[in-house]
Amino acid sequence: MNDTIELHDVTKRYGDTLAVDHLSFTVRPGIVTGFLGPNGAGKTTTMRMMLGLDAPSDGAVMVNGQTYRKSPAPMQEVGALLDAKAAHGGHTAHQHLRWLAAAGGIPQHRIAAVLDLVGLSEVAGKRVGGFSLGMYQRLGIAAALLGDPRILPFDEPVNGLDPEGIRWIRSLLQRLAAEGRTIFLSSHLMSEMEETADHIIVIGRGRLIADASIAELTRRSASSHVRVVSPQATALAALLERAGAKVTNGDSALTITGMEAKQIGSLAAEHRIELQELSTQRASLEVAFMELTKGSLDYQAGVPNSGTIRETAHALVGTGNRS
Amino acid sequence: MTTEAMSLTAATPAAGLSPSLGSVARPARFVNTLAAEWTKLATLRATYLTLGLGVVLSIATTALVCLALGSTQKTWAADFNPITTSMVGNIWALILFSVFGAMVMSREYSGGLIRLTLTATPRRGRVFGAKLILVTGIILGFGLLTTVAMFLVGQAVLGAYGRPVAGLGDANARWMVLGLGAVMPFFPLVGLALGGLLRSTAGAITAVLGFLWLPVIFGAALPLWARQHVMNLLPGNGLDSITINHVEHSPSFSTPLVGAVIAGAWLAVIVGAAYLTFLRRDA
Repeated sequence: MNDTIELHDVTKRYGDTLAVDHLSFTVRPGIVTGFLGPNGAGKTTTMRMMLGLDAPSDGAVMVNGQTYRKSPAPMQEVGALLDAKAAHGGHTAHQHLRWLAAAGGIPQHRIAAVLDLVGLSEVAGKRVGGFSLGMYQRLGIAAALLGDPRILPFDEPVNGLDPEGIRWIRSLLQRLAAEGRTIFLSSHLMSEMEETADHIIVIGRGRLIADASIAELTRRSASSHVRVVSPQATALAALLERAGAKVTNGDSALTITGMEAKQIGSLAAEHRIELQELSTQRASLEVAFMELTKGSLDYQAGVPNSGTIRETAHALVGTGNRS
Repeated sequence: MTTEAMSLTAATPAAGLSPSLGSVARPARFVNTLAAEWTKLATLRATYLTLGLGVVLSIATTALVCLALGSTQKTWAADFNPITTSMVGNIWALILFSVFGAMVMSREYSGGLIRLTLTATPRRGRVFGAKLILVTGIILGFGLLTTVAMFLVGQAVLGAYGRPVAGLGDANARWMVLGLGAVMPFFPLVGLALGGLLRSTAGAITAVLGFLWLPVIFGAALPLWARQHVMNLLPGNGLDSITINHVEHSPSFSTPLVGAVIAGAWLAVIVGAAYLTFLRRDA
């Protein structure tokens, strides 16, 4: 009972197709973990294996310390959203949740609670066959939350949601993570993760490309820098360069890399240099990730070939059109 | 349109997940799976439509045939049998109940519902077992209802024309009426199994109806030896050997006990194959 999802060297083959290739990672509680990869990278296959729907060809997937199929109270441990449209069109939203609650041995009063939480109370008596994709997503989230589970793997939950719906789901997921739950969220767009996730796991062609915290990624980025405005810029620049920082002199400001704002401030104060502005400029996740994939490939042990990495990076940050 | 508008007005999340379940998880049991599968069926209009149509069409067909016979026949042949005559509508029950059985499983695959079902209940044997028990129980109930109703309606119509009738007190009548009802789950269970193996409603229904009718259609054209040594091994003949053999004889029938063994073997093989496939195949 550790609220984690662990993949141990997992491989999945469908005939001659290798969908997942020696994948290992751990998803931890208390944060939102983004699971990124281009369409066809193996994200859905990986999530299916977490839920025991597909059996790994090799390796093991442990959810909460055991294989999901052996879970004694599955819906109270794990709440998954795989395919939101997986509902019988002839059932009403309430009836759909009623059989699910029955399956998990979950008290019926939870149905009204989760319908209220996702904002579907008023359509509880409507047949789901007439629902929009956004409403299906909300129903899928309601179903996932029925058993009040600790582990929540969601596959592309913002698909089909309007901007308001996307904001809603982001705040919901962050709130659930703040309650100490394990949130695992897949997407094929890097930009979706920046505001939602704390940690990202990136795969391409079924292989692990990156497994890092977003804060760490953007801090390491060459594009992250500190901006300083000072009337004594020349003196400050010389001082900082002696201390080991890299300084670029712009028109009105210094751009400093290799030193944190805090150290720059102390150094300036020590030498009685006036600062009019001191700000940290963080690289965007997209930029940081592109740098990571372009630059050193020693970031991750067992790195696949650079072609896959480049291809994955471009697919994730590239055009941004949703398929 | 209206449903969409309503969802947009309720877009802000409600505070908290309470009332929550508390920290102690209650293990899910087989009865929970049974309750879930029952709820799934009991809340679908298609369930009532398919089963209801099976009962109504069977009784109506029996009533019409008896009415036609009663009003047109001047004299009655010596071998006229009011018991089998009143069971003439049974084909509708067989067809519609088999469609029901097939859909209980195949419906799971039409929109990916199976993945939700198996996420809620990852112990797959429970899901298969629950569906098996429900189809058996439901069709047993509806089967007996249909055969008894057909018998009573048929005898009432024939009796009204002053034709020879039988009562449920008659051992032959009781054996056939209750027997036909009791073996009614056979083809629906084959449908359930084929629905899982083929993962398609159309495929499963076509297959189970072919299984049901092809031997009947082509069997009569076969030479006697084939009817005695091949036809008798078919599941339908096995079942008929239990229920009809004592009132209407055929070279392709066996004794009731042998018939039961033949039918049971077929069911065990088909359902067993579907069960093992259901346990192992990626969903």
